[in-house]
Formats: sequence, C-alpha cells, structure tokens
Amino acid sequence: MFGLFGLSYEFRWSVLWVEPHLTWLLNGLSTTLRLAAISWVIAVLLGIIFGAMRTASFRPVRAIATVYVEFFRNVPLLVWLFFWYFGAPEVFPEVIKQWFIHHGIEFWSGVAAISIYHGARLSEVIRSGIQAIPKTQLEAGLSTGLSLIETYRLILIPVALRLIVPPATNESLNLLKNTSLAMTIGVAELTFATRQIETYTAKAVEALTAAALIYLVLCLTISTIMNKIEKKYAIPGLIVRGTGAEH
Amino acid sequence: MKRFGQILLIGLLVVGISGVAFGQGSPTLDKIKNSGVFTLGVRNGSPPFSFINKQNERAGFSNDLAELVHKAIEKKLGKSIKLEMKETSPSTRIPLLTSQAVDLITETMTDTRARRESVDFSLTFFATGAQFIVKKGSPIKGSQDIAGKRIGTQQGSTNERVLREKYSKAELVTFPDQAAAFMALQQGKVDAYCNDGIQLWGLKYKSGNPDQWEVVGDYISYEPYGMAMRKNDSDFRGVVNAALMEAMEGGEYFKVYEKWFGPKSDVPYPMTPDVKAFLLYQVVPK
Repeated sequence: MFGLFGLSYEFRWSVLWVEPHLTWLLNGLSTTLRLAAISWVIAVLLGIIFGAMRTASFRPVRAIATVYVEFFRNVPLLVWLFFWYFGAPEVFPEVIKQWFIHHGIEFWSGVAAISIYHGARLSEVIRSGIQAIPKTQLEAGLSTGLSLIETYRLILIPVALRLIVPPATNESLNLLKNTSLAMTIGVAELTFATRQIETYTAKAVEALTAAALIYLVLCLTISTIMNKIEKKYAIPGLIVRGTGAEH
Repeated sequence: MKRFGQILLIGLLVVGISGVAFGQGSPTLDKIKNSGVFTLGVRNGSPPFSFINKQNERAGFSNDLAELVHKAIEKKLGKSIKLEMKETSPSTRIPLLTSQAVDLITETMTDTRARRESVDFSLTFFATGAQFIVKKGSPIKGSQDIAGKRIGTQQGSTNERVLREKYSKAELVTFPDQAAAFMALQQGKVDAYCNDGIQLWGLKYKSGNPDQWEVVGDYISYEPYGMAMRKNDSDFRGVVNAALMEAMEGGEYFKVYEKWFGPKSDVPYPMTPDVKAFLLYQVVPK
C-alpha cells in the first residue's frame, strides 16, 4: 500500500470517463477549440495587417503598428485577460455591457485578450517574413502598374506567409496552449474541466495526465497540418526544406 | 567517508528510535519533529477565518485555532516547533496535503464524505451553510430565484457542487478565487455570488461599504468545517482533536470565537445554542 515515497496513491482512471466527468471534458475541449480557432483567425488577420504596416515606408503607419506590437506583446497575457474581463467592459455603455454579459462575456473577453496579444506576436513573425523578401520584388510589383496595397496583397504577403510557416506554427501552438489561462476569468475550457474533475474526485494525477495528453494530441495535429501546408505551398527554388544543401 | 557513514547511521538510528518513542508510527508527527517545522495550509482571502489583515499579517479564526494545535504538537513532541503558513485554494489544498507540502489545512474546508476518501478530518470546529450575497435591492432573495441567473462560485468548493447538482437551471460562472468572484459581482457580471453564509458575511464587512450588500436565502447546504490532514495517521489526528476538545472544554475556543464573531468584532455572528451544544457534544470525556 505504501509506495516509494511513503505515500499511498490509488490510480482510478475511470474518473475520466464516468458521467458527468466525460461531458465536462468534452465540453471543455469544445470550448478550448472554439476559443483557439476564433482567436487564431483574428490574431492572423491582425498579424498580417500590422505586420505589413510595420514594413511600410510611410512613418506614421509604421509608428501606429509599432505602438500596437510593443504595447500588447510586452504585458503578460494573464494581465490582458483580467483587463479585458474586469476592466474594458466597464467603459462601455450599460446597454452594450449588459448585452455582452448575457452573451458569454467570459468567452469573448478571452477571445479579445488572446487574439490581440497573439496578433501582436504574430505580426512580428509576418514582418520578418516580408522583410526577408528582396526589395526588388516590391519595386518590380510597383513597376508593373500594381498599387502599393496590391503589391502587398498579391506578391509580398503571399510569399511572406509561405516563408514564415515554421515560426507561425510555433506561435499558433502557443496560442492554443495559452487558452488555458482563460479559466482565470471563468471560461470553462479544457484545463478548467480537468481541474473540476480533480476537485470532485481528488484524483490529480489522472486529471492532469488527461489534460497533458489532450493538449499534446491537439498540438501534434496542428504541427502535422502546418507541415503539410508548408510542403504543399512551398515555392520551388525559394523555400526548399529537407533536401540538403544546394550548390 | 567511513566516518560520515557512521554518523549518518547513528543519526538514522536516533531518528528511528525517537520515531518509535514519540510518533508511534505517525508519519506527520515524525516529519514535524525531524524538520522542526509545522506547515499550515491557509488562505489570504477568506475573512474572518483565514486572510491577510490590514496590517498585512495572516490572521483569522481558523489560524488562531491552528495556533492551539501548534502548541499541543509542541507539548506532545517536547520541543519548540516553527509554525509556517502556506497559501492554498480549494483546488490546490488536497494535492498540497498529499504531497506533504502542508501538514494541516485550517481554513474553511467543509468536511464531506467524498473528501474523506482522500483526507482525514478533525472534529467540526464551525458549522454554516451556503447562501447568496447580492447587491442591496436585488430580486434574488434566495435559491428559489436563481433559475436563469448568472451565479458566481468558486472552483472546487462544495457550494459549486450543490448548485451544479440541485439547481441546474442557474447559469454558473466559476472563478478560481473569491476575490475574482466578488469583483465580478461588484461589476454586475454575475447576479449573485454563492458561498458559505459566514464567509459572505465576512466578505460584506470587508468590502468597505457593507450597507450595499445583502446576504440572502436559507442555507442550501450544510457546511461543517474541519481541519484536514493526510489519511491514516490516527496519532496526528488524535493530537489535533485533543487540542480542539481541550479548547472547547476549557473555554479557549469560545474566547477565540468571541474575538472573531463577537458583538465587537467585524463580523458579528452570535453562536446559536444548537451549535454550541453540538460543538460541546463532540468533546468526549478524558
């Protein structure tokens, strides 16, 4: 009965699939996926817009983007979550605040915090991608009669997005894992669900192992998909991976 | 090296013998004796049981009772023991206890049959029940009014469990700690916050403007507070229970009660004759 550390611990893995625990886990997983997916889409859009603005030659545009990036990436995400839940809704008119309160304010505050924070981080990744493209491409685009916006939209950003798949994958995985912080503002996501099982059953090892494994599977799935995307959209001659050095 | 080995061996023997003499196989008493430290699991935001007061010191009713247990342990072990306090929360306290990070949880932990599967409890040292705290004038007057309302709870608490199981029509918003839940109530993000009645009284008085808040409703649960310790350590449990019984019998318990819940305290909460009789009936003869 007494184990190596003089502690007795009886494993009871069934706590993970007896009801209502299984429902909590599945609901938590679904909330995590929704939170991550919506936040990711917004973060990518913000990242592209502000990442492109960071490379603009017009100084005020660059300045706005710099302020956004430095302001949002340099404050811990946990602080942003509290800000978007306890702080920001207070400045809205009462009607709007009430509407949000009755339409999942916890969830949307979480989306705001995570997407804006990760948008700032992603825009740095995208900026580095755009800056890795030779300046002649911009000039060539402009000289063919495209406008500046069109050059970005049709040439620079599509190429940049291909270049940055590995670091962007990294950021996406961080985003997914960071959704677990949303439990601090009452979002019942996956980590919340496993903590819930833990507090009802006192089976900490089982509950936390379940959380760890589910996050691992989710992250591995995402990196596999991103890998496929990278291979599929690679531009021959520009991005070559895994084929050895070229001479 | 050889010498070091001998010293180590003698040391182990001494520890072993004293363990037999004093602990009689109590792992917790042995641990306290060997380390010279008694570690309590406390809270920083559960007034008046366990909290950080205006002087920025840990204080509270449960902490004072734990002090009595501390003295009893020193007496039992015949040496002075350092008292250390560690912050816990409803969701961390059982893991902290089983991992030996703390030796005794003394805050506002409800003794339940489910929890008795993982930890052992002392005698009941306080009894209360779950109620709701609302803004003055709120339409919520008790559990009959909470269907469809947003009710704040604390994750891992017994109240949360009662609401989830018996009042499934209420929309629960669960926070990791009391401070976040009460902040959400203050900002109108939840319509009521559910916790043990006495804690809500504590919260009301600590809020700065007590008149603005109301504690409403009949008890929707029975919440007997006990001190929690690692399972299957009956000698340690005996020391804790004897300390509580002596305090109840000798009147020291009621002095501590008066200090925290008496008419002059921040949270006046007179003890009903029922509760007093219940507490005293737990005291078995010497």
